[in-house]
Amino acid sequence: MENAETNKAMPPAVNLGPVLDAMLESMIVIDGKGIISQANKATTTMFGYSRYELVGANIRMLMSGADKARHDKYLKRYEKTREKRIIGIGREVVGARKDGSTFPADIAVGEIKTGDQVQYVGLVRDLSEQRRTEEEALKQREEMVNVSRLSTMGEMAAAMAHELNQPLTAIANFAAASERLLEADAEGNLTIIREALQDIQEQAHRAGEVIRRTRTFTHSGDTEKQVTTLAAVFEQIGSLAKLDNKANNIKLAVHLPEDLPEIEVDPVQIQQVMLNLIRNAVDAMSDTQPSDRQISIRAKITAPHELRFEVRDHGSGIKAEEAKSIFNAFFTTKNSGMGMGLAICRTIIRKHGGELGFRHNDSQKPESGTTFFFTLPTKVGG
Amino acid sequence: MSAHEGKVHIVDDDDAVRKSLQLLFKTVDIEATAYESGDMFLEQFDDAVEGCVLLDIRMPGMSGLEVQKQLQDRGNSMPIIFITGHGDVPMAVEAMQSGAFDFIQKPFRDQDLMDRVSQALSQSEEQREASEQKEEVGQRYESLTPREKEVMGCVVKGQANKVIAMDRDVSQRTVEIHRARVMEKMQARSLADLVRMSIQIEL
Repeated sequence: MENAETNKAMPPAVNLGPVLDAMLESMIVIDGKGIISQANKATTTMFGYSRYELVGANIRMLMSGADKARHDKYLKRYEKTREKRIIGIGREVVGARKDGSTFPADIAVGEIKTGDQVQYVGLVRDLSEQRRTEEEALKQREEMVNVSRLSTMGEMAAAMAHELNQPLTAIANFAAASERLLEADAEGNLTIIREALQDIQEQAHRAGEVIRRTRTFTHSGDTEKQVTTLAAVFEQIGSLAKLDNKANNIKLAVHLPEDLPEIEVDPVQIQQVMLNLIRNAVDAMSDTQPSDRQISIRAKITAPHELRFEVRDHGSGIKAEEAKSIFNAFFTTKNSGMGMGLAICRTIIRKHGGELGFRHNDSQKPESGTTFFFTLPTKVGG
Repeated sequence: MSAHEGKVHIVDDDDAVRKSLQLLFKTVDIEATAYESGDMFLEQFDDAVEGCVLLDIRMPGMSGLEVQKQLQDRGNSMPIIFITGHGDVPMAVEAMQSGAFDFIQKPFRDQDLMDRVSQALSQSEEQREASEQKEEVGQRYESLTPREKEVMGCVVKGQANKVIAMDRDVSQRTVEIHRARVMEKMQARSLADLVRMSIQIEL
């Protein structure tokens, strides 16, 4: 205890070198011109440069894209305006390794003033692992959405079949009993048969009611056609589509003019078609190079009273022998899938007075990707 | 058409299905009683009454499979025909493994149902006859003297009179007399008949 008292009066000199080298974050000190004066050990493992290569080099070497081109300007502007855009705030950037690869990183920058000399210290945290985990989570969530949609369909079919079997069984029994009673031709049988016929009618109506209820359920109460626009219909699923594309590392370009003529559709059903086409496009690009993964969504007027919605991918394309069957129920080229998507989509679009189809992006090269589209009539008398 | 004495117990929660089944059995002169739940059935029906059960596998409250188990627990071996719906195959398999007589999928043809019910009722009758017979054979066996029971045990195992006599240190003639008494008391027409009876009463 006595020692502690005396020690307190005399703090030991601290050599921070080993501490900085033990850090997991990269720490870099630069001067006012952007030249690296110090870097800790984590910097060398994170970026792949040795300390000899780092010290004396411009910090731009570790950057990519716009930041790399503009960093000198940033420094000059700060020197002049003292307007803090990153110091004390931090932001997400893209780091460049020696081997040319890049990675997402989080940086925090501080200013060190010693006399007239200005230095900046930057702390860099590699976000690759975090990103990967996030994307994995997104992907799983998306798969859940997909699975739940399928299982919902399956459950609905089973529940409906069960509900329908009751009245159907009763009808079959009443009818069979009546037939036997007629053959027996005994007195009083007609009264029983008449009652059985009434029961049959009642059960037929009951079956109809089951179907009516199930229809309402499928449409989640939103069965009415509405006057709307393609952009408005897409908007509600846009975020889901973007999430999906981000998780699959795909660029999504959406061009849906707001001023297209109005349409009269069941939004939920059209959204189902849109999501299906986008999902198919995503799946088609699973083997496409990451840099080429792009989906373009467009809409335009193609005839006096006709709109067209397109989803263009850079996927593996549709083989000639598959082209004939892709709209058939239960046809699928996917490892997991029921092959119901396009069949249901075509039914929905035709019910709306439109058509669903596809074309190769390049008719000479089907493997260059595919554009799926559907047309819809514009609102009549609008 | 009916030549059956047995009764059909219908257990189904659906009013229309129950009513239509009762009408159907009425047209073919098969006696049928309907219950709207497994609980009511187990509470109300009489074990002594011969027949079969037409049991809906999927019911609110007690399921068909549970009803089957409770029947077995109380020692009732009445044949059960399960009525199953769409997608109930795994349950039907379980029911069959637990000894159900058969199952039939909704909606069914009346003739298919009648054939199965008819077979189930026949089995129920056979079961009753077999158990009556077993009881009677048991009574005959109990009328044997201890020495006669002993000789019967050796005879059905295939031992020759000479061997039985030597083992017991009696004359072969004595064994022959015991043996004749056994055949007479058991009302056995042949050695094979006697063996069958011994199996029946699990000797």
